[in-house]
Amino acid sequence: MASIASATAAPVLALSPGRVALGRTLRHGGFWVGGGILLVILVAAILAPLLTAHDPTWQDLGKRLVPPVWDARGSWEHPLGTDQLGRDYLARLIYGGRISLLIGFATVLISGAIGTALGIAAGYWGGRVDLLINFVLTIRLTLPVVLVALVVVALAGNSLTILMLVIGLLLWDRFAIVTRSATQQIASREFIVAAQAIGSSTGRILFKEILPNITGPLIVVASVELAHAILLEAALSFLGLGVQPPLFTWGLMIAEAKNQLFFRPWLIAVPGAALVALIFAINLVGDAVRDVTAPEGRA
Amino acid sequence: MLRFIVQRLLVTALVIAVTSMVAFSLVHLTGDPAAAMAGENAAPEDVEAIRRTYGFDRPIWEQYLTWVGRFLAGDFGRSHYLKLGVGEVLAEHMPVTATLGVLALAFALGLSIPLGVAAALRPNTIVDRVALWIAVAGQALPSFLFALGLIYVFGVLLRWLPVSGDATWQHFILPSVALGYYATPAIMRLTRSGMMEALQSDHVRTARAFGLSRWRVVVRHGLRHAIIPVVSLAAVQLGFMLGGSIVIETVFSLKGLGYLAWQSIQRADIEVIQAILLVIAATYAVLTLLADILNAALDPRIRIG
Amino acid sequence: MTGPLLEVRGLKVEIAVPGGMTRPVRGVDFSVAAGETLAIVGESGCGKSLTSLAIMGLLPRAARLAAETIALKGLSLIGLSESGWRRLRGERIAMIFQDPMTALDPCYRIGDQMAEVLRQHRPVSAEAARQRALELLTRVGISSPEQRLTQFPHQLSGGLRQRVMIAMALLCEPELIIADEPTTALDVTIQAQILHLLAEIQRDTGIGLILISHDLGVVAGVAHRIAVMYGGEIVEIGERDAILGRPLHPYTEGLMHSIPVPGETRRGETLGFIPGTVPRQTGELTRCGFLERCPYATGRSAAGPVPLREAADGRLVRCVLPLDGSGRDPAAWTRQAEGV
Repeated sequence: MASIASATAAPVLALSPGRVALGRTLRHGGFWVGGGILLVILVAAILAPLLTAHDPTWQDLGKRLVPPVWDARGSWEHPLGTDQLGRDYLARLIYGGRISLLIGFATVLISGAIGTALGIAAGYWGGRVDLLINFVLTIRLTLPVVLVALVVVALAGNSLTILMLVIGLLLWDRFAIVTRSATQQIASREFIVAAQAIGSSTGRILFKEILPNITGPLIVVASVELAHAILLEAALSFLGLGVQPPLFTWGLMIAEAKNQLFFRPWLIAVPGAALVALIFAINLVGDAVRDVTAPEGRA
Repeated sequence: MLRFIVQRLLVTALVIAVTSMVAFSLVHLTGDPAAAMAGENAAPEDVEAIRRTYGFDRPIWEQYLTWVGRFLAGDFGRSHYLKLGVGEVLAEHMPVTATLGVLALAFALGLSIPLGVAAALRPNTIVDRVALWIAVAGQALPSFLFALGLIYVFGVLLRWLPVSGDATWQHFILPSVALGYYATPAIMRLTRSGMMEALQSDHVRTARAFGLSRWRVVVRHGLRHAIIPVVSLAAVQLGFMLGGSIVIETVFSLKGLGYLAWQSIQRADIEVIQAILLVIAATYAVLTLLADILNAALDPRIRIG
Repeated sequence: MTGPLLEVRGLKVEIAVPGGMTRPVRGVDFSVAAGETLAIVGESGCGKSLTSLAIMGLLPRAARLAAETIALKGLSLIGLSESGWRRLRGERIAMIFQDPMTALDPCYRIGDQMAEVLRQHRPVSAEAARQRALELLTRVGISSPEQRLTQFPHQLSGGLRQRVMIAMALLCEPELIIADEPTTALDVTIQAQILHLLAEIQRDTGIGLILISHDLGVVAGVAHRIAVMYGGEIVEIGERDAILGRPLHPYTEGLMHSIPVPGETRRGETLGFIPGTVPRQTGELTRCGFLERCPYATGRSAAGPVPLREAADGRLVRCVLPLDGSGRDPAAWTRQAEGV
């Protein structure tokens, strides 16, 4: 009788630390700074047409490489100047975040689903399942990410869908590693054992008991991988095998300006700063969640 | 110990075998290799001819077995673009990447281990925070942007170092820094936590109680223990660096494997791409194997069971 | 003999904890003469280990030390520089720790660890260091010492490792050895051997020995004098025979009752016979520290802090009861244990 009682009571108890963690997250300074920057970038990307009158792809070859407003030759017509094809750089900056964010969030959904499923399965069943999944994980880690992504994109054609699929299929390893160990820790706890004892279905245990209890580490990994995916897309675009014009991202903007490094470094600095701010903000939010859910896990 | 090594060797061989299949299918199944090799404006007959010449019309498993068979016999194939044996091409580019990887790892270790030790000796103080900050600060930068920043500061503004090519050892400084810096946070964190644990251990208290010098206490009785997991991490990080060197080599025009891979991808030089994928993956697998063995060899409790 | 080997006066240790200061050692005085074994006895948490770490200058960073005197043959150890400590530790004062399983470094061979200590303090060759290590391993009764030198700690049994620790402590011929629970982690038969060895070495070399233990039974056979600590204070200190013959402090009495009877040994540090544990007190004591657990407590116990008083046989006792042993009802212990 006692075990049944604890089986029904325990999940409630297990959830309440989550609520405590949420409360503490909301009082964490880093969370607000990171979240604030992230919100600004998100809103700018969504409301892009309202924020600038320029079309980011409109080429005005007569006005190429206009310097930004802080330069003596700059003007407020193009606050951040124009690029080598005469496109307004501020407009490109605002619109450029769209694809980066889209790729980031889409790939995290894909890789998160794959990695979490594998990690929970390995952690919950252990034994041969664990061995097999570990082997798959080893294979995945053995394949060099950038190179494989480049090869696939080059051979399969670099549409946005393929790009998201490839990155998503490559970056699930950390999700699997973290959910596996988190699941192992939880699987032996008494409310899981109790749930098994009262005959809950496996699916119910996995989704209703285990998944809600590993959200903390999952959010942390998701933030890391979101940053990772955005950086990877930027690297692929930089190497010329990421998104293709007319689509563009901050990574592609840097790639296109690469030859201007010596004379017009702002062309690199502007999208570079935006990219850094985005990654920095994501890391801050991730660190805040980690501080709150697992303070001892800090370096 | 011997049993352990044999067991790990077998697993590594299996990993490499499966990885080679994945690498092979990636190249052959994600697109049409014949079309890619023929180029965009090729006539259908030309594509068909290439397909037959290279055997792309045969079943995939048959192609794979032929490829593996040739590979094991020492024939790595032929670059259809360079008109050279893949073996020769790889041998020409390998030393640059190996040099870059080793130097980058040396830089990473040289930066992160002292930082980790300093942080562990003064935990939760300003020293700790500054050390972590140095290791982590640049991680929000994509590696190519960090590399461009280094070029701008040291090549363009200060004019201290060459920024392109691989003629002298100076050419390797900036690329090594750019590549190695991304391994520092992990190594630094592991050194720090390992040192914290080691410094609190009983044998360090014994060493202090017997009047050993601070250097001996920290290095011989502290770092010696903290370094065991760092060694395996370093080997794994070296593997990651080889895989990630493609970006850095491209930025600095270092003619290594990564640069070759990038060029070969653009030339649809299938045989070269396959070989590089396999070489990098196998190197990574061997390095992790080495990490495990080193790990065991450094810990007498494992070595002498 | 001119003055004691080690003199400790007014030793206090304070540790900052969230919300205040704990005072695990609150004003301890004792001295050890050359050729003497002083046992410091008490439950875990009574401050005995921190006292020994304070003498070695090895207190954790969070701890604050205050003392009127800590002096080794007139040399004050208070505020000694780090290099001053290094010349002292291992050279003039050596320490043996509780757990020989973890106290030796698992990464180095026995011989290398011993040579490292010797060569830190003496300008000797590697070969001379090896010979000295060999000599001492033989001295502490280790068979086939040649072979032990090349072994790693995990290849030795607990008793052997503790012998190695003792050999290491003897390397530089120290004047004082502090042995902190040297036998607690060992099997009973090994315990006796190690204690016997320590006593023998102490007798032969004429060094001072501080033996720290939670178990009066352990120190009974080897100590010359005994100091009983409770709640960071010495509650009774005097000649061994006097104290074991007739304990005057109720706590000492309780410890005597809890000496394990052979055949039903107990390894833990909780005292079965004295109910409760050492209370953690933050401020200055305003009454007898043992009050809560004392079966004989009277109104005077709570009247104010209890000073050490000298009994007729010269020992010092921190108790308000008459020092002739009267006023104690043996049945009180049973009544208290039963919670009446």
